[in-house]
Amino acid sequence: MKSAETIKRLFKNAELRVHPDTDEQVFKDVLQAQQETKKNLPPSFLAEVRRGENIWRITMKSPLTKLAIAAVLIIACVIGLSLWRTTGSGIALADVLARIEKVKAYRCQWSMKITGEGAPGKPYNYEVRATDLVSQEHGTKSKWEELDPNGGESTFEEQYFLPQEKTKIRIIPKQKKYERTELDDAWAERGQKFKDPRWMVKEILGCKYESMGKSTIDGIEVEGFQTTDPNYCRNYWTGLPRQIDAKIWVDVKTWLPVRTEHDIMQDIKDNKIRTHIVTHDYRWDVPVDAAEFESVIPDDYTRIAGTVVKWPALTEETAIQGLKLCVDLLGKYPEGTHFYSYQWPAFQKSNTPAAMRLEEEVKGLAEDEKVNRLLDTMLPMRSLDRFYAGLKFDNKDPAYYGKTVTPKDADKVLMRWKVSDNEYRVIYGDLHVETVTSEKLAELEKALPK
Amino acid sequence: MVEDKLLVFRFKQGRHEALRRIYDKYKVELLKLAVVLIGDVNTAEDIVHDVFVKFAQSAERIKLTGSLKSYLVTSVINRVRNQRRDNSRHCVANLEGADLLPSFEPGPQQWAILSEQLIVLGQALQELPYEQREVVCLREEMDMTFRQIAALQNVPIDTVKGRFRYAIQKLRSVLDGEVEK
Repeated sequence: MKSAETIKRLFKNAELRVHPDTDEQVFKDVLQAQQETKKNLPPSFLAEVRRGENIWRITMKSPLTKLAIAAVLIIACVIGLSLWRTTGSGIALADVLARIEKVKAYRCQWSMKITGEGAPGKPYNYEVRATDLVSQEHGTKSKWEELDPNGGESTFEEQYFLPQEKTKIRIIPKQKKYERTELDDAWAERGQKFKDPRWMVKEILGCKYESMGKSTIDGIEVEGFQTTDPNYCRNYWTGLPRQIDAKIWVDVKTWLPVRTEHDIMQDIKDNKIRTHIVTHDYRWDVPVDAAEFESVIPDDYTRIAGTVVKWPALTEETAIQGLKLCVDLLGKYPEGTHFYSYQWPAFQKSNTPAAMRLEEEVKGLAEDEKVNRLLDTMLPMRSLDRFYAGLKFDNKDPAYYGKTVTPKDADKVLMRWKVSDNEYRVIYGDLHVETVTSEKLAELEKALPK
Repeated sequence: MVEDKLLVFRFKQGRHEALRRIYDKYKVELLKLAVVLIGDVNTAEDIVHDVFVKFAQSAERIKLTGSLKSYLVTSVINRVRNQRRDNSRHCVANLEGADLLPSFEPGPQQWAILSEQLIVLGQALQELPYEQREVVCLREEMDMTFRQIAALQNVPIDTVKGRFRYAIQKLRSVLDGEVEK
C-alpha cells in the first residue's frame, strides 16, 4: 500500500510545464482582453482606484504585515540599507524578450568553469574565458582563452558559427590546427539558439521562476530572476541527473540583460561535475562589420584530431547504422543514451572481430592520424548520439532500452520516438523498424524485461 | 499576500506588467489543478485560458475579500463544475459520448506539458467521485485548509474530512493496482 506521505509526494513531484510559444500566445489573448477592457472603462475609474487605495494602506492593513515591515526597516537601518532589495517585480520577462528581439547585434564576455573529480583523488579543472560578437545577420564570432589548470600558458582560439553558411570553424594558432564542420539545417538552427539570450528568457518563461528583487551591478540598477526548475533546458542534457540554478539580471531602464549565470551540477559516472557559466559586460546594438565574420585558415594548418568535416543527415537510417556499429564494435547495445560519449573504455576492452580489426588497422599510425581514423570510423555512433539528442530537443518523447534489449530481440522495443499525435516509430532489437499506435507501443513496453 | 495585493492594485490601474506577473505566478498551479480535476488536458487549458481572460477583463469589478490565489482557484473550480455539468447534459443527449472520455494526450498546439507522474496521478484521480477528487486536490495541490475547502464546497467541515479520508484510501488502492475492475 502506498502511504499517505507517498501520495503527498506524488502530488509534489507531478510536474507540469508550459510550452513557451503557446504560453506567449495565451498571454497575448489575456493582454488583449485587458487592453480592450481598459478602453471601455469610465474615466473616473482610475482616479477612483488611486484615491480609494494606496500602496501604504494595502501593506499596512494587516497587523502581521505591520510587524514584519517594522522588523525589516530596523534590520535595513542597522545594515545601512546596503542590501535592500525589493521583491516587487517592475519588469516582465516577456517584455525583456520583446526588447532583445529588436537587437540586431551585441557583444558580451563570458566564462565557463568546470570542476569535479576526473578519477578518485584527481580533481578536474577546466576554465575558459571568451568574448562574443553575435549578429542576427552574420552569426557568432568568439575569441576563447583556455586556461592551463597547472598555471601555464593559456591557449587561444577563434570560433565562428555561421548559420547562413551552415558552418562552424575553429582556429587554434598556437597549435596550427583548425576545425571546419558543415552542419545540417537542424543543427545550424539549434547551435544558433545556444548562443541566444532570447532562448534563455523563453526557457525561464516556461518554468517556475521568481524575482530576486532589485540590486546594482556595475553601477546599473537591475532586477534579477532565478529558476531552479528541473525543466529548465531539460532537452539539452540527455539522461544525466542534474541540478540547475539559472539567474538573469535585467537593466530596469533598458530591459536588456546585464548578467546571466548558470550553475549546473551533474552526476557523471559517480562523479559530481559542476559547471558554472557567467555572461557579463553586454554591449547591445553594436555596429557590425561583415568582415569580422570572415575567417582565414592558413595553408599550413592541419585538422584537429577527431573533428568531423561533414555530419551525415541525422535520420532514422543514420541511427540504425549507429546502433549496428555499437554491436559490431562493443558486442552489445550501450546501456544508456550516450551512444558514443563514455563508450571509449568499452571499445578499448572489446574483443569483437570488428574492434580487433580496427585496432590492427590503426596500429603504427601517428597519434593524430590514429584518433582521426578511429573517430571517423565511429562517426555513425556519434551521429546516433546527435540524432537522439535532436529527438529530445524537439520534444519527440524518445525512449531507449539498450539495458535490457539485445540484437536477438526481434519483438522488443529498442528505441522509439513520436511521429504524430497517436503514432510512434519503433526500432526493434534486431533493428527492423515500424510505426505503431500509442496503444500498441504501451503493450510492447509493458512486455519489456524490468 | 502583500505582493498579491500590490499586484492587484497595479492591475486595477491598468498596468500590464502586473497582469503578466499574476499570470506567470499562477498559470502552472492553475493548469495543474484543472488537469487533475477535469482529466482532460485540452479542456483544462481552455478553462485556465478563460479564467485569465475573464480576470483581465475584471479590473472594474474585482473586489478581493480573500487572497488572489483563492479567487483564481475558485474561478477554476466553478468553471470545472460548469464543464462537468455541460458534459453530463451532452452525454444524455449523445449516448456515444466517446469524445468526452478523459485524455492526457496533448493537442496540436499544446500549452501544458505533463510529466509522467502527473499523467499517472491524473488518471488515478479520475477513479474518485468528483467531490472527493476536489477535496484531495485542493488539500494536497493547493495547500488549502479543510475549513477553506468546506466553505468552497458549502458543506460542513466533517464532511470534507470524510471525503478526504475516503479519497486517500481509494487513491492508495488505485495506485497500488488493487481496485477490482
